[in-house]
Formats: sequence, C-alpha cells, structure tokens
Amino acid sequence: MINSLVQAILLGGYYALVACGLAFMFQVMRIINLAHGSLAILSAYLVWEITDALALSPFISVLMVLPIMAVVGLLLQRVILERATKGGELLPVLTTFGLAIVIDNLLFQQFGANTRSLAPYLGDLSWDSYEIFGLWVGKLPVIVLLTAIVVIGGLDLVLRFTPLGRQIRATAFDPETAGLVGIDSRKIAGISAAIAMMTVAISGTALGLRGTFDAYAGGPQLLFAFEATIIGGAGSLWGVFMGGIILAIAQSVGALIHPQGFLLGGHLVFLMFLFARIYLNSNVFSLKHWLIKRRHKGDSL
Amino acid sequence: MLSVHNLDVRYGQFRAVQGVSIEITQGDIVSLIGANGAGKSTFLKAIAGALPIYSGRVSFKDQDITDTSSSTRVQQGLSLVPEGRRLFSEMTVEENLLLGKTVQRQGDWDIERIFTTFPNLVKRRHSKTGSLSGGEQQATAIGRALMANPELLILDEVSLGLSPLVVDQVYASIESLRDAGTTILLVEQDLERAITFSQRAICMLEGRIVLDKLTADTHRDEITQAYFGLNKATQQEAS
Repeated sequence: MINSLVQAILLGGYYALVACGLAFMFQVMRIINLAHGSLAILSAYLVWEITDALALSPFISVLMVLPIMAVVGLLLQRVILERATKGGELLPVLTTFGLAIVIDNLLFQQFGANTRSLAPYLGDLSWDSYEIFGLWVGKLPVIVLLTAIVVIGGLDLVLRFTPLGRQIRATAFDPETAGLVGIDSRKIAGISAAIAMMTVAISGTALGLRGTFDAYAGGPQLLFAFEATIIGGAGSLWGVFMGGIILAIAQSVGALIHPQGFLLGGHLVFLMFLFARIYLNSNVFSLKHWLIKRRHKGDSL
Repeated sequence: MLSVHNLDVRYGQFRAVQGVSIEITQGDIVSLIGANGAGKSTFLKAIAGALPIYSGRVSFKDQDITDTSSSTRVQQGLSLVPEGRRLFSEMTVEENLLLGKTVQRQGDWDIERIFTTFPNLVKRRHSKTGSLSGGEQQATAIGRALMANPELLILDEVSLGLSPLVVDQVYASIESLRDAGTTILLVEQDLERAITFSQRAICMLEGRIVLDKLTADTHRDEITQAYFGLNKATQQEAS
C-alpha cells in the first residue's frame, strides 16, 4: 500500500510536469491548448532524433530542444493562436484540436507505428533505484519529480518576483489596462507561449525517459494534463502540482481495487473535482479557508 | 502636441464619437465636460489606443499614432488614467507602480517620488490594491501612470466615488503636476472645479463637441447650456 502510494506520488510528478504548461497557457493567455500532448510527443521525437544522430545523452539533447520548442511556441502564438483568439473563445479550442491531428499524423508519416523510448540511451539509470526503508524507488522517477518541482517552482518565482512575471500577471488579469500601462501584450503572449512550449519539451522528454511513446501518444498526455489541471484548479501552479499527484494516487488506488481500474480511478476523481468546482464555493479548495474555519471553531469553543 | 482630426469611434452601428477634432498644445490644462453617455470616455480611450478608431486621424508630437498600440503610445509619452481606476487588484501598490515603469521612459518620476507625492500610500506599499480605500486606489492609479513619465496625462473621472475631502487631496497632487509643466486632459463632472482648475473647457454632447473655449472667455451658464444641448446656435456652429 505504502509502496503504491510512493510510486503514485512519483508518477504524479510526471503528470504535474505535463500539466504545468497547459495550466500556464490557460492562466496567462486564456487558451486551452488541445495540441499540448501532441507537441510533447513532437519534442520527445526531436530529443530522440538528436540523441540518436549525435550519440548524446538525452539530458544534453533536451537542452538543444528547449530553444527549438521556444521558437515553435512563438510561431504557434503569432501564426495560429493570435488569429484564433480574435474569433472568440471556441475558436482556439477548435484550431488547436485540428493542429493536434495534423501533428499526430505528420509524426506517424515520418516515424511510423513503431514505439520509441529514450530509456536505452540512459544505460543503468533507466532501472537504477534507491532503497529507502525497504522500498525500491526508481532514480529516474525521482529525477522527474524533482524536475517538476524545479520547473513549477521556477515559473512561480518568475511570475511572482520578476518584472516579466509582473507583466505576464497584469496581462492575464486585464489585457486592456495592461496595454494602457505600457505593456506590449503581443510580446508578452509570445514569450508566454515560448515558456509553455519549453515546459512541454521537458515533459515530452520525461515521457520518453520513463517509458515508450508513439505518434498517437499525445492524446492520453493531454488528457492527464487536463485532468491534473482541473483537479488542482487552473488558478495556481502549485495547485496543478497537487492535482497531478492526486490524479496519480486516484489511478493507483483504482488499480489496486481492480486490474482495469487505473484510468477509471483517475477519471472518477477528475469528475468529482469537476462537479465540486462547479457546484461548491471556490473557497472550499483553499488551504486558508480551512485554517480560518478551524480558528473560528476554536474561538467559539 | 496632441492633434485629433475628424475622429469617429463606433460600437458596432452606434457612433459614440462623431467627427471630433481638437488641438492640445504643450502645457495646456484642458477639462472635458459632458453628461453620461456623451462619449467622453470613449474619446479618451480611443486617443490612448484602447479602442479601435473607425475613421479620422490622431497625432501626437507631430507623429501619426492612429494605428499604433496603446503600449506604443505610452512609450511615446501619452498616458491614460482610466475611468474606475482599473488597478491590478491582486497585486500590491508597489507592484502596480512598478508596472507603470515598463516602458522605461526617462524622467523625474520614480517610485520614491510617487510615495512623497502621495503620502497616504506609504503605509499601504505592500497591501493588495483590492483592499485599499477609493482615494488610495485613485492615488495608485495616478502614480502608476506617472511612473511612465508622461508628457500628456489624461485623467478620466478622477473624482468618481471619492469623498469631497479626498477629491481635494487628489487635485492638490494633480496641481503639482500642472505646475511642473505636464500637459493634462481631464474629465471632471464638477463644473466649478473644472472651470477653476483648467485653462480651457471642452464640452461634449452626443458624441460631438459643442463647446471649446478658454475658461476665461466662458462662464458657468454657457457651459451648462452646452452640457444639456439647450444652446442650438452653439451646437450648429460646432457641427
């Protein structure tokens, strides 16, 4: 039981990593990017190609893919999203859905139906593990979890304390006033998309390191990212981190109950949170709310 | 300094601003007067670049800015303090002020001078602006615009929702700007204050300018008539 909980938290780290880019884009640009999963797979293939061609470690290749995906993000914003958002809220969803299909099929045409993995390029690391209190914990999942913490923590710090972060938050809060203050919202949107795609590159690599992927693996990644975002609430990146872990725990519990229950457990918890978010006061989900409630209870006693 | 020629702004079929032309020279203090729905805020927003211009030209410092973005106009020295303050309510006073510095124009204004000018903000420096009083919010909004070191400052209804005492404080601080030579265009509902504070009054009615005179050459009654559209002669002359 404890073992599956630990494994679930490690898996949750991966979900958080996939979800943070999706949540970031939604928070900052109010766009639900349905091509998110496919773009992660695209970057996984890029890392695989570079690793294979130059005989590098995947950890080095991902550093080369980061700027490539940043440019992809910038182009995505300038060429597609900027036009799509002018047509209302629904259009970006449809456009990115179409983009996902295009990317999936181009990848299929280029790379075929074979599954690929980055694990072979890692040597021992892909199966190495730590032994902690009699539990075996894989080194690689720990690295992925730590990466998620670093990426989300880094994004959070940038948003909170840098001029760029302030401008991004201002643009997300009220784009018109942001313009009146002198913030170039077009530039900010481009930078935000580039940042989001860099996290996508990292999450795609994490997927390739942890297991296998093929051209059509984008859909499930998008689904997990979406579920983690909704469970955690799109408002804060740390919320999304918790969302990823809750999703993974729900899936593991589902798998314990029934061998086929892995996905079902995740979906059920996702739906529970979805309806709770629709019908309950949003305060219920904040830590502060419960702390204050407890204090009030203490006062009345 | 600011030249608006035959400006038209529309919301769909509705012409909110119709064929408005004004000239503002450096150092002018101009009051824009008019009833609710006369098109004042629409006009100011169009000048600041927050609304698309349907037809006509706007130029600032002899450069055409009709099609430029609002951030470019701030960069050139034209700042608007929008109606209703429009602060980033989840950020602190300091963060709001720092955002005003985004364009990094050279000038006298920095964050410490803002706090000297608006001493009521000092102890609120790290409070979220959503929790401030109306006067403190207005001071933050004006401070945020000043951080860009504007040459032309446009103020839309600065006294809206403030107590008379706070309005006096806000005007005292704008007065120091006036004395420092900043060009100011402001919307004011209080006629008396508008006449005493500014050198020139422009009155709008149903999207058109119906009166544009130096405050020295006009008087309360004439403005009131223009305000309500009572003076047909003035209206025809302007249109």
